[in-house]
Amino acid sequence: MKRLYIGLIIFLPHFIHAQGFQVNLQGQKQQGMAGAGTGLIQDAAAVFFNPGGVSFLKENSATVGVTATIANGTFLDADSHTLNHTNSPVATPFTGYVVWGVKDSTSKLKNFKFGLGVYTPFGSIASWENGWTGRFALTYLSLQSIFIQPTVSYKVCEKLGIGAGFVYATGNVELKQDLPLLGVNGNYGSADLKGSANGYGFNAGIYYKPTDKLSVGLTYRSQVNMSVSNGTATFTVPASVASNFPSGPFTSSLPLPQVATLGFGYLVNSKLALAFDANFIGWKCLDTLAFTYKTTTATLQDTKLPRDYQNTFAFRLGAQYKLNDQFTVRAGAALSLTPIKDGYVTPEVPDANKVNLACGLGYRPMKNLILDASYTFENLTRTDNNIALQLNGTYKTYISAIGLSVIYQF
Amino acid sequence: MKKNILKIILGAIVIGVIGSCKPSIDIPKPSAGSMNPSYFVALGNSITSGYADGALYYSGQQNSFVNLLSGQFKLVGGGNFNQPLVPAGSVGVGSTGNAPFKLGYSTDCLGVTSLSPVPVSTSGDLSIFSNSVASSGPFNNMGVPGAKVITAVFQGYGNPLLGPGNYNPFFYRMTANPATSSMVTDATAQNPTFFSLFLGNNDVLAYALAGGASDMITPSAGPVGIGFDATYYSIVNSLTANGAKGVVGNIPDVTSLPFFTTIPYNGLALDSGNASLMNAVYNLRGLYFHVGNNPFVISDLSAPYGIRLMTPNDYMLLDVPLDSIKCHGMGSYHGGIPDKYILTATEVAGIKSATDAFNSTIRSAAQSKGLAFVDVNAFMKTTQKGIIYNGVTLNTSFVTGGAFSLDGVHLNPIGQALLANEFIKAINSTYGSTIPQVDVTKYRGVIFP
Repeated sequence: MKRLYIGLIIFLPHFIHAQGFQVNLQGQKQQGMAGAGTGLIQDAAAVFFNPGGVSFLKENSATVGVTATIANGTFLDADSHTLNHTNSPVATPFTGYVVWGVKDSTSKLKNFKFGLGVYTPFGSIASWENGWTGRFALTYLSLQSIFIQPTVSYKVCEKLGIGAGFVYATGNVELKQDLPLLGVNGNYGSADLKGSANGYGFNAGIYYKPTDKLSVGLTYRSQVNMSVSNGTATFTVPASVASNFPSGPFTSSLPLPQVATLGFGYLVNSKLALAFDANFIGWKCLDTLAFTYKTTTATLQDTKLPRDYQNTFAFRLGAQYKLNDQFTVRAGAALSLTPIKDGYVTPEVPDANKVNLACGLGYRPMKNLILDASYTFENLTRTDNNIALQLNGTYKTYISAIGLSVIYQF
Repeated sequence: MKKNILKIILGAIVIGVIGSCKPSIDIPKPSAGSMNPSYFVALGNSITSGYADGALYYSGQQNSFVNLLSGQFKLVGGGNFNQPLVPAGSVGVGSTGNAPFKLGYSTDCLGVTSLSPVPVSTSGDLSIFSNSVASSGPFNNMGVPGAKVITAVFQGYGNPLLGPGNYNPFFYRMTANPATSSMVTDATAQNPTFFSLFLGNNDVLAYALAGGASDMITPSAGPVGIGFDATYYSIVNSLTANGAKGVVGNIPDVTSLPFFTTIPYNGLALDSGNASLMNAVYNLRGLYFHVGNNPFVISDLSAPYGIRLMTPNDYMLLDVPLDSIKCHGMGSYHGGIPDKYILTATEVAGIKSATDAFNSTIRSAAQSKGLAFVDVNAFMKTTQKGIIYNGVTLNTSFVTGGAFSLDGVHLNPIGQALLANEFIKAINSTYGSTIPQVDVTKYRGVIFP
């Protein structure tokens, strides 16, 4: 428990990064296998991947992990052929999981496991260089969410486990753009919308292991509506028009989508295991990003940004091979289909259909201690003419995510 | 084993470093197609010269759409673009010797202070008119403020000996032979390989800016130097005589300019007392008023009693003396607003019919030589409804629209950049070139205090 606490202190102030808004960095073993882990239960990260499978974990354990995520983006403006770059900082999404159950086989609670997960399933950060051509649409976006999930898992019989967790979500959002109001100092005006958000949801799963080799998982993570009830909008504009842009409170909400996953695990032999996950992601919930200002004027109306996301799928395939008692290697590939329709791609998340490749390494220096590391690389290219912004061009983004976690069993 | 692990970790770090590089995207290679931009000459009026905010000044010249075009031409083999620049430190000068406008605060007769265009100084820099820069010519930018199609061929257009009002001081300062040169002869003498021709606005605009009270619309018919059609064809023939290719722009409808659309026709707000007063004054002459917004009273010699109410088809000019309206009864109890501040529906109809005729001539002339053609009129009409460029909404409204300078007639740098892109699109589509457009967000709009 102490480890988890330290982990939180270290990583809370940092930003969380993602491709799209969805961050698929919830466990190092699973990251090494391209994010598959709903049907193959390996460690306490099952609190996130499948609460139903938590009851199948043999050991009590605690784990903390962090992933350094580096994203670099470039935008080629189709009409002027100018290149624009992002300066996004390194993000460090983190995870912490604890799983505990009584080991006394005579206890009434022997089929129960209790878990706590702290993870960051959604987030994004995009910071564009000064003076870039889309500056009047967006210069900076940071979206951070932290889910805290107490979980109960029950092993119904030798082949079946069920589990569920309540999710309390907290986070914050900040969005900046330049305003096309030039002052005598040569600076354009700017808008900065900043607020904290919270919401509730749940994560439930079933884990079924019909044979020694095959296991199947089905999970459902509910939609979480993150509401910003007391944001602060700050407008910096030339003095002569300041009364047109009153700074003040705003409200907003951002729905984080429901995710349903069907996963399979297959133990080919004592060394080789395979995992496959199919995710359904209910992005249709993100129709419009709306910011409602407490004080509006003729020039400052409530902001309504059309997003019109669509529901989408992702498919993840991973394998791990146990070299010996100490070392395990992993690899995987995932195909993610973008929720963003043509005509709606924005510089905040220039998402695209993509394949990402991952590899990982497990090392067990001691019986009770496991270190896992992973590396994921994504290469996204998307060409679009945004209807609302008339911003036309090609986005190209490289994302590298290098992660490490420590598991202690007790 | 441990060595292998190290290798894997090192490998991962190397890949990580590669991943942290900025992605590169191949920029399409620009080409000139069948046009040759090696020597580009721009023939035109104030818009071509970079005149803005009521004056010709240095940074306006730098942002003229033809200077922006020349910058893009350089990507495909274009040469140097020499402009008759005024001194960088000068305030600049307008056609009446005035200084340019900036957005500032002014207090009206009612004591109300508000944002409005104010001159940056009491007078423009008149030395610009007297100091010829011809020795640093010839100039690729042959844009001359005030030039009409019919004056562009006038040999002696820069000749001060003709006396004030009979020559153009903006042309005087840039021509090596004021007594004998015309704009066209100075342009063709440079033997350009490519030209832009954006003339004709002033053949209707000079009349419109005077509220139809002075100057005149250039007639379509008549010989070179008198009639629009013959003169325009002669200019196109001169510019293409050496086989040069070019781009030609037509004339925007004057009613798309904020100079004519900013002040509403029905801005006379009356309470019940004032409405009664107005009715007492005017009912006998057939004019009736009500509580609320009423049309202004305007002078119109063709109306009974020489006055009538303004209609939505009449346009009030931006230079109308607002203090006279607000405090001295102009347009209300003290009589009609003088004709020179009003473009009446009849005058507008005359301007529109001339504009249509000129535009038809311009298009035919361009087609006859296979030149690129820019429908500036259509572009202005689209902009009037509002356009979006990389997240910025722009229209032709005064100050707030973002594309016009503070004189309400000329474009600001954003507007010039948008216009440059219209020319580039036309050039690319006619000559098969792939010249990139300019990034409009790099150019300024109105500066707010």
